[in-house]
Amino acid sequence: MLVKYLLATIVAGLFAGILLTPAMYVRNVPLILHAEEYENAGGHEHSHDAAAAATEAAPAAVAPHEHEEEASPALPFGRFGNTLLINLVAGAGFALITGAAALFLGRRITLQNGIYWGLAGFFIFNLAPAFSLAPELPAMPAADLATRQAWWLITVLLTAGGVYLIVLRDEIWAKVLGIALIVAPHVYGAPEADDLTSSVPPTLASEFAVSTLATNLFFWVVLGTALGWAIQHYAQSELDA
Amino acid sequence: MAATRTSTTISLPLASRLTTAVFSLMLGVFIIYGVGLSHSETLHDTAHDTRHSYGFPCH
Repeated sequence: MLVKYLLATIVAGLFAGILLTPAMYVRNVPLILHAEEYENAGGHEHSHDAAAAATEAAPAAVAPHEHEEEASPALPFGRFGNTLLINLVAGAGFALITGAAALFLGRRITLQNGIYWGLAGFFIFNLAPAFSLAPELPAMPAADLATRQAWWLITVLLTAGGVYLIVLRDEIWAKVLGIALIVAPHVYGAPEADDLTSSVPPTLASEFAVSTLATNLFFWVVLGTALGWAIQHYAQSELDA
Repeated sequence: MAATRTSTTISLPLASRLTTAVFSLMLGVFIIYGVGLSHSETLHDTAHDTRHSYGFPCH
């Protein structure tokens, strides 16, 4: 077991997760809070039902999410604390997956090429799925959750395979097949709600789609570079052994 | 020192990398499933803002 390598990837992931948190609070979280005002003002029903019912008596002008926290089974670290915790964990998770991919492929993530690993991660996990299934605000109309999750997962897997075939294989058939894999889920189409009427203003939704993609691009560039740095500094000896 | 070029491949044979790679991948996938896809209400509510911000299908 390459313990230093594992620890280096986790450190890089935690670092990227820390930086992601303030980046999310610049645009994304304010937009989510804004959208939740429409959600609790009689929007779509979903898993916040219990929380929403508990706050029904509260005046809509009072920030509804604060009441929601009390009734929801979320971990007790407050909205910011929970988000920071989850970002740390998610950063480590994406770092482990990226580090594992590099190990499988026999490739070394370095400070110089780290940004490309990051851009690949952004393309696979964010940009490609968002092309057909845009990041959603709370209360926006959407198709069945499990169907969308399945589409998201399949798209991520196909895109990862496509990126591998295009970037790391020289054969012409590999490049053609790679493009086909990346395009296929979008030709098939993402699940869409039957009724697109929304209580959330379209401007909020478009601002959210762009701001989340920009934030996640930042996250992945930091993660890729940090992975290269950490692996070079802490795990070099293991990989050269 | 400045002229040192870092190789972009790993000379270590696959057999020596495989255990770490599989362990790392499984741990990473387990974490991302919990953060982004699990239907557990506690996880959903805790990860709520990150799920939306990250573009995971939510709700």
